[in-house]
Amino acid sequence: MTGKRKLFTLLLAGIMVFLVAISAGCGQKQSGSSSSELNYPTKPVNMIIAFTAGGSSDVQARLMQKYWDKLVDQPWVFQYKPGAGGAIGFAEIARAKPDGYTIGGVNVPHIVLQPLGQNAQYSIDDFEYICQVVNDPQVLAVRKDSKFKSVKEVLDYAKENPGKLKVGIVGTFTGHHLMLLELQDKTGIKVTQVVYKGAADQNAALLGGEIDVMIGNVNDVMRSLEQMRILAVASEERSKFLPDVPTFKEEGIDIVSDIRRGFVVPKGTDPRVVQFLRDTFKKIAEDPEYLKDMEKAGQPAEYMSGEEFEKYVREQNEKARELLTKFGLLKS
Amino acid sequence: MWEQIGAGLINALQPFNLFLAIAGLTGGIIIGALPGLTATMGVALMVPLTFAMDPASGLIMLGAIYSGAIYGGSNSAILINTPGTPSAVATTFDGWPMCRAGKADEALNTSLIASAFGGLVGTLFLLFLAAPLARLALKFGAPEFFWLCIFGLSTIAAMSTGNVFKGLVSGALGLLVSTIGLDPIEGVPRFTFGYYPLVQGIEVIPAMIGLFSFSQVINLVGSRQKYIADYKPNPGAFMRVVRKLWKDCKMILTRSSIIGTIVGILPGAGGEIASIIAYNESKRWDKNPSRYGTGIVEGLASSESANNATIGGSLIPMLCLGIPGSAVAAVMMGALLVHGITPGFKIFTDSGNLAYTFITSLLLVNVLMVLVGSILIKGTARVLNVPTSYIGVAVVALSIIGSYAIRNSMLDVMIMIFFGLVGYFGSRIGLDTGAMALGIILGPIAEENLAKSLALAGADGSVFKVFFTSPISLILIILTVLSVITSWLLSRRRGGDVKEAVESGRA
Repeated sequence: MTGKRKLFTLLLAGIMVFLVAISAGCGQKQSGSSSSELNYPTKPVNMIIAFTAGGSSDVQARLMQKYWDKLVDQPWVFQYKPGAGGAIGFAEIARAKPDGYTIGGVNVPHIVLQPLGQNAQYSIDDFEYICQVVNDPQVLAVRKDSKFKSVKEVLDYAKENPGKLKVGIVGTFTGHHLMLLELQDKTGIKVTQVVYKGAADQNAALLGGEIDVMIGNVNDVMRSLEQMRILAVASEERSKFLPDVPTFKEEGIDIVSDIRRGFVVPKGTDPRVVQFLRDTFKKIAEDPEYLKDMEKAGQPAEYMSGEEFEKYVREQNEKARELLTKFGLLKS
Repeated sequence: MWEQIGAGLINALQPFNLFLAIAGLTGGIIIGALPGLTATMGVALMVPLTFAMDPASGLIMLGAIYSGAIYGGSNSAILINTPGTPSAVATTFDGWPMCRAGKADEALNTSLIASAFGGLVGTLFLLFLAAPLARLALKFGAPEFFWLCIFGLSTIAAMSTGNVFKGLVSGALGLLVSTIGLDPIEGVPRFTFGYYPLVQGIEVIPAMIGLFSFSQVINLVGSRQKYIADYKPNPGAFMRVVRKLWKDCKMILTRSSIIGTIVGILPGAGGEIASIIAYNESKRWDKNPSRYGTGIVEGLASSESANNATIGGSLIPMLCLGIPGSAVAAVMMGALLVHGITPGFKIFTDSGNLAYTFITSLLLVNVLMVLVGSILIKGTARVLNVPTSYIGVAVVALSIIGSYAIRNSMLDVMIMIFFGLVGYFGSRIGLDTGAMALGIILGPIAEENLAKSLALAGADGSVFKVFFTSPISLILIILTVLSVITSWLLSRRRGGDVKEAVESGRA
């Protein structure tokens, strides 16, 4: 008996050591080198994802990693910091040591709205922008058997019946929320906003008839085209995933609204490192194999350089500030 | 259809797929049994591996991990009173008393057979009734979810018969805790007391690990017991349990499995809710409800069959509608999409081969689980032969790692320790940790759906119509009322001691 007991204790201890080793592997030791020659990266690079493992942001970054590994010797170490709609993870990136060994994925308009509306612990000035990699436009969707056949019919109904149209969005201070505010602002309609926690419950609510219309993203509605009709897409040009769906602009409403994903490093990172990352990410983003992978995973790829991405974020910041002020939602 | 099922079975029986199923089950059971490591984590970790496999083999492995982990949670629930996954909370109610009474082998075998049974029932629903059930799930809107949560909360009254007052206070505290963080509708921070990290809210799992595992360790360490419970291997336990379940628990197993399947279908409600509801339903319909919680096979069978039945249920809307019924189903859907397979009613025709291979493999997995499980039980039961001091250290280490791993957040570790202390000191003054956990789990869902329902009522111009006219809502309301009345009647029957308990609760 005692022999067995010992064996078991040993086994238990072994498992614990193993687990501790795994968790310790996440925290990298810092060893800053200040030589004038750019010798980067000399150790694995942390990649902070502000959402859960297996989510869209994670899948996208994992696709990129495959190509990063072909170009650079040092791998990425993924760190998931989900919570508060990404605000926890984004703050983590902003606070990280600017030594080039922490890269993070960010989403727009999240990084614009959270500091404006929720007192988030970071601001858009805390980052150096590497590039944008995804542009997932918002769409307006109804049930396949809905009486609404076009955006115009939806708007007409909403105008005649103020507050009667039930519109589902995911989360507050999100791209969906912003788009609904903009839609009401630009067309003068007033609707009932129903906030869902995730795309899954929202899609179910639309199909079950609880809401009349929903704002979704191309990436999400692609799965449910059998049961949904997409009335319009809020992009500059038609989406290649939905070639038959008109844009809002074609329908006479000047709305472009989307969720964009990009990568950043903390402010103050060595400019040469930033340049290295910008060049490397550009190479990946333009690799035809990578683009094929992205399409397969239903990720609408759109590359934008770091400078352009930063400019875009600042424009969005002004636009959002104006809208939130108008609706009395501004916090700071 | 039968042809496709046959073809699917042949695919599932290929040696490589069988190997994946057994490996997945073994890994899943271990992950599930370790407090703090959950089914979602296990499946998410293995998804990248499936990219290199063909889609069917990948799904078989993920399904096996999922089934194994949900069952595995019962092992630690029974042996050390620590649910290995949140869906095993109700398993501690009767599993732990059985273990303490020296019936660990019976308890472990009961949970194994009940889990496999529940898993089979859930999968059969998935196989034969997926499309109609998916359509039914769509009828379940915000008001129905709200009433489901209220019904769930009403079981506090049933759970804490004899001390309803303390149960209610504990449940209310749980609800209060669940309001910390970002408001689900307005998106503004609440109860953060100026400490920003609290905006991420109190994550359910660290709070549960604290309430049930960490507090239990403090108990163990303080108890001066050298061993947790007496354990003597009990060779005939498996067959005895089979006979007992066949004789007394047919009804309980069937009802609990159906409850589990239905709760599983609903997005946002999973094994942790199903097992508690099933447990309380079994208790309610029993001739002598007071024996529940004293270590009886019936209680254990209810919660364990219900939580494994949620697996098949949660896959129904995922495959038919692209709407995952649980966090694990969401991860599995991600794996499907990467292979370019789009969920939808057409999945059974367009990718019929894959769909039927996957579903029949789940049937197979549940059968294999009995085999793999019985072998593993022989090892896990030996935990009882390990001195409590070692167990304590191991559980503390796992609790910390498990809490941290949910969101890689040290705050969650602090939350876990905090709730450990709440559980330890609270139970000395009569805090009902089960009721508190129920409040923490159901609070956010109830609040979110109440707010959505009110928004909908605003658009329809009638609160009454939204809340009280749908048939599903009415059924849930009636069940809630019944649930409260029956426990009131029960406590009246036992009269005196209840009054006393309430008095001492007020004192």
